Amino acid sequence: MLVSVKALSKLVDLNGLDGEKIANGLTFAGIEVEEVKRIASGTNLIIGEVLECENHPDSDHLHVLKVNLGDKYGVEQIVCGAPNARKGLKVIVARVGAKLPEVEIKKGVIRGVESNGMCCSLLELGVESKYLREEQTKGIEELPKDAPVGEENVLGYLGLDDEILNLKVLANRSDLLSLYNVALEVGAIFNREVKELEAPAIINGESDIKVGSNTYRCSQFSIKEIRDIKVKESPEWMKQFLMSMGVRSINNIVDIGNYVMLMTGQPLHMYDADLLPKKELIARDDLTLDFVALDEKTYKVIPGDIVISSDAKAMCLGGVMGSLECAVTEKTKNIYIEAASFDAKSVRHTSQRLGLASESSMRFVKGTNHFRSKFVLEYTANLIKDLCEGKVFGDVKEYQSEEERDLIVESSTERINKRLGTSFSEKEIIDVLERLHFKVEDKGNGKFIAHVPSFRLDVTCDADLSEEVIRVLGFEHVKSILPNLDLTVGALSEEQKKERLVREQLLSLGLDECLTYSLVSDKENECYSLVNKDEPYVILNPLTDDHKVFRRNIANSLLSVASYNVSRQNKNLGLFEISNIMTKNKQEKHLCIVLVGNRLDQGLMKQERYDFYDMKGYLESVMTILGIENSRYKLERAKENLDELHPGRSADIIAQGQKIGVFGELHPNKLKEYDLGKTSALVLEMDLNALFNLKVGLIKAKPYSRFPNVTRDLALVLDKSVEARDVIKTIKTIGKGLVRDAEIFDLYEGGNIGDNMKSLAVTITFGSDERTLSDKEVNDLEEKIKFELNKAYRAFLRM
Amino acid sequence: MDISKLNEIKEKAIERIKDAKNSDELVEIRNVFLSKKSELMSMMSTLGQMEAELRKEMGQKINEVKMNISNALDKKVQEIKELELQKTLEKEVIDISLPAKGKESGGKNPFFVVRDEIIDIFLGMGYEVMDGPEVELDHYNFELLNIPQDHPARDMQDSFYINENVLLRTHTSPVQARTMEKKAGKPIRIICPGKTYRRDDDDATHSHQFAQIEGLVVDKDINIGHLKATLELFAKKMFGEKREIRLRPSYFPFTEPSVEVDITCANCGGKGCNICKGTGYIEILGGGMVHPNVLKMNGYDPEVYSGFAFGIGIERVAMLRYGIDDIRKFYTDDVRFLHQFKKKI
Repeated sequence: MLVSVKALSKLVDLNGLDGEKIANGLTFAGIEVEEVKRIASGTNLIIGEVLECENHPDSDHLHVLKVNLGDKYGVEQIVCGAPNARKGLKVIVARVGAKLPEVEIKKGVIRGVESNGMCCSLLELGVESKYLREEQTKGIEELPKDAPVGEENVLGYLGLDDEILNLKVLANRSDLLSLYNVALEVGAIFNREVKELEAPAIINGESDIKVGSNTYRCSQFSIKEIRDIKVKESPEWMKQFLMSMGVRSINNIVDIGNYVMLMTGQPLHMYDADLLPKKELIARDDLTLDFVALDEKTYKVIPGDIVISSDAKAMCLGGVMGSLECAVTEKTKNIYIEAASFDAKSVRHTSQRLGLASESSMRFVKGTNHFRSKFVLEYTANLIKDLCEGKVFGDVKEYQSEEERDLIVESSTERINKRLGTSFSEKEIIDVLERLHFKVEDKGNGKFIAHVPSFRLDVTCDADLSEEVIRVLGFEHVKSILPNLDLTVGALSEEQKKERLVREQLLSLGLDECLTYSLVSDKENECYSLVNKDEPYVILNPLTDDHKVFRRNIANSLLSVASYNVSRQNKNLGLFEISNIMTKNKQEKHLCIVLVGNRLDQGLMKQERYDFYDMKGYLESVMTILGIENSRYKLERAKENLDELHPGRSADIIAQGQKIGVFGELHPNKLKEYDLGKTSALVLEMDLNALFNLKVGLIKAKPYSRFPNVTRDLALVLDKSVEARDVIKTIKTIGKGLVRDAEIFDLYEGGNIGDNMKSLAVTITFGSDERTLSDKEVNDLEEKIKFELNKAYRAFLRM
Repeated sequence: MDISKLNEIKEKAIERIKDAKNSDELVEIRNVFLSKKSELMSMMSTLGQMEAELRKEMGQKINEVKMNISNALDKKVQEIKELELQKTLEKEVIDISLPAKGKESGGKNPFFVVRDEIIDIFLGMGYEVMDGPEVELDHYNFELLNIPQDHPARDMQDSFYINENVLLRTHTSPVQARTMEKKAGKPIRIICPGKTYRRDDDDATHSHQFAQIEGLVVDKDINIGHLKATLELFAKKMFGEKREIRLRPSYFPFTEPSVEVDITCANCGGKGCNICKGTGYIEILGGGMVHPNVLKMNGYDPEVYSGFAFGIGIERVAMLRYGIDDIRKFYTDDVRFLHQFKKKI
């Protein structure tokens, strides 16, 4: 809402207050002023008269003017390029030294001719072009013949010495979409007198229009008929008022409609009385028809839209837009003026569906005063009488389905102070409420009843009263004291703790923690659906197709992050993200890790391609810190997404018989798709909730042997398909209690090993809790292990 | 055999030891002067033929010389070893400016740095951390927060809908309602960090996805002063002890009175600068006293209980704190950005 300080000053005493002060007062009373700006500005301005106008000797469009600036400054020579510069014209002159919004005027020589100042257009003073006639934008401003030469208060003379406040009206204060209500508010905040709006009823004729409403969506509908009006240009004061409030002047009748709406907050609509099919205007919501609106476009009207009908034809879409059929034009003589109350929801639906939003519809959507239409129509009539020479005025015909009720709120000094943490006196509280136009009945003992003014749609309970009090008296009165609450164990839940542990662990291991959008495209949602394959949530009203589906996996998002980084030469990446995942039947918490390029072991001096076992390492590290022993989960060769993962280098993570995650190398085809270059990339995704839900016991420290261990190394040659974990398992099984550990320490393929064969080097640790093992014991056991490995896997020792 | 011969041997040995350059030479010297075949040892073997008196005297002398030589040798060995070690160490000098072997932590998106820190501040004040669904029922997101169908405030938060009753939550406030439902009339002290979604076009300051931390305290005799003190504490911990806060009246449907909270500008300390647009203050969060209707709808008697609530924008706090100029940077994850945030204190 734009508010002209000049217009405001006609309603409320602003003595000693400028735009900044008012803005500050409003802002700290909860009505934020986003900007204070001048409608026009300029220093060193003066009104002058062109005495001589000669063509510039060295130009085909410049003129050399002699301009009389009055007694004080005499006559100056000014070079001017305006096509309308001519002898006898009264002009605005910016003298040397003048600061205009865009330029500073300096003494100059223009193509050899001295120039001491500039003749200005209003554009050059900062007035927006939308408020100007075309000819005003093409040349210098032409002042009236009687403009006083030598007048230095040029902006004042033009009525442009105004400041404009841009109010951010919050949803609960739709009453402030009215200049008069802003004046009331300013009056309350600064404790200043506010003038009453006066509108004596003008009735000198009969009106036989029939009004009514067939729907709850229009609770009140009033019409005033005025005859014999003259449509013409508005007077200057009206044009200036509208300009300062951000509205363009059209003609007197349209301008009056806008003026009344801006002043009172009540939107009006006007009908050409001679163009109605029948002398009736009835609100209804049951029509289906094609509606040709003022903008000459056709709109589909459906049941639920509020239609103002005459003889079952649509004359207006209530609160949204009038019809072309009965629009007021320059030929209009007789009019019906409508002031009605429309249901916010209906107006919102209609205006949203049809893409028609206006100052009127916005006011209905936010809420209007349902009991003021008679006053508003008479206020309008007074203006029409003055500006449009209206002659015959009917009485207001009104349909009203509601009864005006006095809204009262009971409260007390104690209750208000208790909510605010303040110690205001009863007098202070009541004074504020009365300044805000509440009528307050004192009930004794600090108790009172407040009657809410009818324009304040937002005040319904005593919490609301407390807000009124504090926003006027100021939050600096609130004592800042921490609440005295019972002690509690402020702590993260088990799950939250585990999530943090995992994040801190992965960060410590050098991975970067990422954040990506949950909304993805359809196509993206299909990519790397590694863990969750459930039906996703799809947005009904997406902004773009890129953000349409609530993702069910993170992998694609993180691979896209990798792709972004690789394209910027950040080629070696270790990334992870943890995010909540919701699909129609599942609520999960996913961890995703992406590794791309090389693991930098010593900067670039020592680097090695990330491989399957790097990812396996991150997985095991997470499992270990969560206390999930390796007997509680297992890896199986991945069975799904084999066109996205390398089929031979990927694994499902299985816990309690369920697949809870997947990891592996990207399929070579996908490396290309994500533009990751000729490198390696790995991805892991798993559901952490499944992990967090596994019960983990406390650690019980076990005694360890006092006796030394013995180690033996075996280099085994066996079939490539034999997995290391089976070999280890066999060794441990055979070694029973005496094999403490068996670990792979080398893998060799190729050379003289033979195709389809590999060599595994195992180091076996033997030991006992009771004694030092003898060589013989160890040798026997080793022989037995070799024998069994040969039997089970046809493994033999490498020579 | 005489004393002078002994002295001669001794001097000769000492001389050679002195001139020795390495341990090999020393081994040889030891051989020449102290082995069984050495002159000294052969002199020793002649002792038996001497008279007792002389034998004793000469024996002592020979031993003396032997000890002298042996000690000198040991000392020299030690010296040379030192010298040789010194040389080895000199050879082993490395370039200490070469890269370290990877022990670095990863970079934490500053979004998480700030989120974790805010959580920790409130954990310290005894708050619980609650979670809530991002795909939420209209009922919790709007209805129970005093935002009925067609309330004008629904215009303020244009939402992503899944169907008529289900949407992506537009704020973390539905967790207020869910918590009140769960706590069923008992006092509440919670925060809820989480992702939220609104139909905003992405630009430097708007994002269709962003995150908030909701706070809610419900108990007997809670007033705005408690909210003010709590947020003051938060602001000082987050932005520095010198920061002051100021409350400005505002409007949210689920709080009454509602406030916007401004903090003195960290850049200019409240004097006014570009960052705070000359006001000396920067808006950081919103809050207020829980609306009596919200308490009532969620099973708390507003005549007995009162409460305060607030919502902090995580990205906004992070942007202010680290001077980040574009909210999209949090969601782009350029590692050159992430790597700036490795510091854990």
